Amino acid sequence: MRHAGHFLRLVALVAVAVVGFLFVRSQVVPKDFGVTGHFRLSAIADEGKREARHIGSDACAECHDDIGKSWKTGKHHTPQCENCHGPGLMHTKVVAEESTTAYPDKILKLKNAIKRPTGIQECKWCHLRTFERPSTLKSIANVEAHVSEHKGTFTKDTKCIDCHNPHTTLVTFDAKGLPVKPKIAP
Amino acid sequence: MISPHTPDDVSRRAFLETVAKTGGQSFLFGSLFVNTAMLRLPQDVASPKAKSETEVGKGVVYGFVVDTTKCIGCGSCVRACRAENGVPDGYNRTWVEQYTFYPDGEVVVNSPNGGENGFAEPPTRNMPAELEKVQPVRGFFVPKLCNHCIDTPCIQVCPVGASFKTPEGVVLVDHERCVGCAYCVQACPFGSRYLNPETNTADKCTWCHHRITKGLLPACVVSCPAEARIFGNVSDPESKISRILATNRVQVLKSYLGTRPRTRYIGLDSEVI
Repeated sequence: MRHAGHFLRLVALVAVAVVGFLFVRSQVVPKDFGVTGHFRLSAIADEGKREARHIGSDACAECHDDIGKSWKTGKHHTPQCENCHGPGLMHTKVVAEESTTAYPDKILKLKNAIKRPTGIQECKWCHLRTFERPSTLKSIANVEAHVSEHKGTFTKDTKCIDCHNPHTTLVTFDAKGLPVKPKIAP
Repeated sequence: MISPHTPDDVSRRAFLETVAKTGGQSFLFGSLFVNTAMLRLPQDVASPKAKSETEVGKGVVYGFVVDTTKCIGCGSCVRACRAENGVPDGYNRTWVEQYTFYPDGEVVVNSPNGGENGFAEPPTRNMPAELEKVQPVRGFFVPKLCNHCIDTPCIQVCPVGASFKTPEGVVLVDHERCVGCAYCVQACPFGSRYLNPETNTADKCTWCHHRITKGLLPACVVSCPAEARIFGNVSDPESKISRILATNRVQVLKSYLGTRPRTRYIGLDSEVI
């Protein structure tokens, strides 16, 4: 047993390494890691903490009841309010004068934190004719041709909402048979 | 030294011995790998009831159906996703692809900005002028998103356990643990993941986990005006998605890769990649 000291030193070194590893591991690895799988269990709850930014058309209609009613009963009820106006969470916070400092949203820079649609770009998203769109969808190949077809003149300021009410798609005509600019918002 | 191409020197006995030896070795090693392969998904294997995807977890298992025959290519889902999840410009959690078929057999796949601004411009083929005039014969849109696979390549490659699957079958990223190595971005065969330049962590479609846990639908499903996206609980036979899955012929993307996606497609064409 002349060399027992060597072995003891080696065993002590290994023991220190193992204890050190276990200590570092207990500090570094989160407590709930590996409970139901190779991941941190509370990460599921962390992901669910965010607020939903799209509030839904029913929530919009709680305040904007006139527009909500005409939209819901009209032909254009499949696209939701937030498809054209953008998400409404920030708008409800700004209108209710809640603090929005915690939110870095770009939409906060807009007036009342809600988008005002251009009245032509939003329409083109769905109603500009492309080969791949189904024929059952009402679409036009060219805005200029569509305007001149209906005896109008196309300028760079021409918008779809000059004739069409975007919430109902309805067009009203005057005595001469020309379209009247619809009253969209009260 | 015996060359493998001169069998004259090898006796029948020596040959049979070698075959038996190497065969036995590969059988032993093979069974070892089969065992590790079975342990690959502990959350699925641990439960004795986990026979099919609908029995994983405590009841709710989410599924997603994309009806490509209904998609009109408006890009509402892409814009809604960007606004809901704060996806940085130039990156997409969901996108829409435009497939256009020409009589000469060529297929043009187009997705400008992921279809975020619609598909106003016709796809260019970089062809001579007379061929550019040729009208297409067939076309459709295919919305894409994370497939939330059952056998996920992206979770397997994560070195820190930052990618994981919830009991409901949603594949998520733990942004506190993620070190931004982007292995998962390369591992995903569907291109569903990206490295978020603001957080420097991997990011992906979560099926709007923060919405579905509050009883809301994902933002892309709510915003779709054509009902081309259907989301719901597939373990409930009365749910809308279960009825759609029961009455339609569905297909998944890249089924040959064996990742078993939970996102299923109605009317998927063989040309869709």
